[in-house]
Amino acid sequence: MSVDIAKLVTTSPLENSLSAFLVEPREAVPFAKALRWQREWQHNMLDDSSVLQAVWLLQHPKCYTLGKGSSESNLLFDPLNPPAPLYRIGRGGEVTHHLPGQLVAYPVLDLRNYQADLHWYLRELEEVLLDVLLELGLIGERIAGLTGIWIQRRKVGAIGVGCRRWITQHGLALNIDCDLDGFNSVIPCGLHGHQVGALNHWIPGLKVSEVQPLIRMALSKHFRLSWEFQDPIENPE
Amino acid sequence: MPALSSTMTEGKIVDWLKQPGDKVVRGESVLVVESDKADMDVESFQDGYLAAVLMPAGSTAPVGETIGLIVETEAEIASVQSKAPPAPPQESKVPPAPPQESKVPVEPPLESKKTAESLQSLETSFAANPLPTSAKPISGGRIVASPRARKLASQMGVDLATVAGSGPHGRIQAEDVKLATGQPVSVPWVAESDSPASLGNLPLVTTKFNVEASKAPESLVGKSFGSPGETIGFNTLQQAVNRNMEASLNVPCFRVGYTITTDNLDELYKHVKPNGVTMTALLAKAVGLTLARHPQVNAACSLKGMDYPSQVNVAVAVAMEDGGLITPVLQNADRTDLYELSRLWRDLVKRSRSKQLQPDEYSSGTFTLSNLGMFGVDRFDAILPPGTGAILAVAASRKVVVADKNGAISVKRQMQVNLTADHRVVYGADGAAFLKDFADLIENRTDSLAS
Repeated sequence: MSVDIAKLVTTSPLENSLSAFLVEPREAVPFAKALRWQREWQHNMLDDSSVLQAVWLLQHPKCYTLGKGSSESNLLFDPLNPPAPLYRIGRGGEVTHHLPGQLVAYPVLDLRNYQADLHWYLRELEEVLLDVLLELGLIGERIAGLTGIWIQRRKVGAIGVGCRRWITQHGLALNIDCDLDGFNSVIPCGLHGHQVGALNHWIPGLKVSEVQPLIRMALSKHFRLSWEFQDPIENPE
Repeated sequence: MPALSSTMTEGKIVDWLKQPGDKVVRGESVLVVESDKADMDVESFQDGYLAAVLMPAGSTAPVGETIGLIVETEAEIASVQSKAPPAPPQESKVPPAPPQESKVPVEPPLESKKTAESLQSLETSFAANPLPTSAKPISGGRIVASPRARKLASQMGVDLATVAGSGPHGRIQAEDVKLATGQPVSVPWVAESDSPASLGNLPLVTTKFNVEASKAPESLVGKSFGSPGETIGFNTLQQAVNRNMEASLNVPCFRVGYTITTDNLDELYKHVKPNGVTMTALLAKAVGLTLARHPQVNAACSLKGMDYPSQVNVAVAVAMEDGGLITPVLQNADRTDLYELSRLWRDLVKRSRSKQLQPDEYSSGTFTLSNLGMFGVDRFDAILPPGTGAILAVAASRKVVVADKNGAISVKRQMQVNLTADHRVVYGADGAAFLKDFADLIENRTDSLAS
């Protein structure tokens, strides 16, 4: 039916936005370093409520990470002699593999700005990934009861978060043009019989640099973030 | 076990960062709880000593379960330990977590209850759970309220900290602020997408209205745009609706109804709801799939003849809070998957509230769905929007006693649907066949909704 909305008021989407630092290192960042950045930032925010939220978008050199509650039985190698560095960290979920060609986003957000609800946050991160895929013309899927994003039954997006007094760390990882061999050394996320995929399977030649702006936009949209482009840690070392 | 989410029913204890006997400082992390793919450091609200761990690391406990005990003084540890059931042996497979310093200022405790014995169970003394399971609107000192509620509260001089929230996760809604001031509460919105009450929760809805009525017997329950004695002009949207409704008087309409058993649909909804699927999306998907099999019901009458649209676009009527209604459209509802439909619907509702819809997002419907189930309505019929061939009115699902073909009696959930159609395009038999197929989908083929 036709409705005349010529006189209806529209509001700017940025009206209620929250400033946040966006950090996009050019080089791959070792996992431990990125983790330290997030921890420091989380502590800053806990210490001082005026500290802005921050988001890191980056890639890691090859490594494996285990959630605190995760089982070593999902490692198909000797944990004492891993094929790439192995880290045990405070996020939910089972083993994950990071490597170049996979874009990770680490939002350090105060969920009390949104909803103090961890499941809400997980679903929202899924929405971010679904939006990015949609922009690329791909239809991502959720699987009931599992966190993450699949395309044609192949997992392309992994999510795991940690939280301290509603301030988050860790986040999401999207496989773009990475080598999938490293995933054969683990049972990713502890899910048997689930294949892992990368977006270049559907869009040959796709590069991280093409997807990064889309993630940036989707995060900004879902968490009402307006970016402050400067490095919040002056001396990362 | 604290609730880390409104949808969390149980949590896994990943790691105790403190051992029985350890001193605990207010604001210090005591354990890590995992739910789904999220970990939360759980902090103590008070100074004291961890006296007992009732659930070891690695175990799973329902939300609200007592998982450990904190006492005020070292002397009390022994007495608690002798009374408390012995904790199962700590499994050593969880390695110690990296040290988590806490030099942070501590949030004030939510409750400063000082009981005779200083023993407090962790479920009440831990900080991680501000809102979800309780009705309290206060979350760790922060108040969750809708922008409209905040505006109203500041206009009316209401302290939001004193208002109980009725929205999702205890969020304070505009209605709550009005209630707190004794103002008339307008009826909540029609066709709100994620309303779980649209099916199944009927008694809850009725009770809610009863409670409100008894709380404020003199205030209005229904919506009113004007005060007694006044005449109020129609707003733009209301005028547009008026034009459409009047135009429908020139359409020769008929109605046909059907009673549908929804136990399978309710079951599916329960299953997919945690993934953000709304009842509106489920119904739109079911309508879309059925329309694809019944193109005649998707057709409309035009000057040239019968128009068969190239898409199945399901419009869903949404009442606007300030008057009028709008019909956001789920395009290609037959071919879009349920999760995507839910996502699109949430976005459409959000943007229709802020009046940011583009014309093709509310005017491209080929069939309309109108759901008043969330009010507990047991049947109604709808007016056909011009330019389309049919509209389906969906009422609430209710428990009823049903006799099957063999005369066996059982209790089932059933809802009535009522199709209003333009007889120039859709004949009685077309409408009936559509409803029979729609009912069969909801009763017997719900798996095709989620696929």
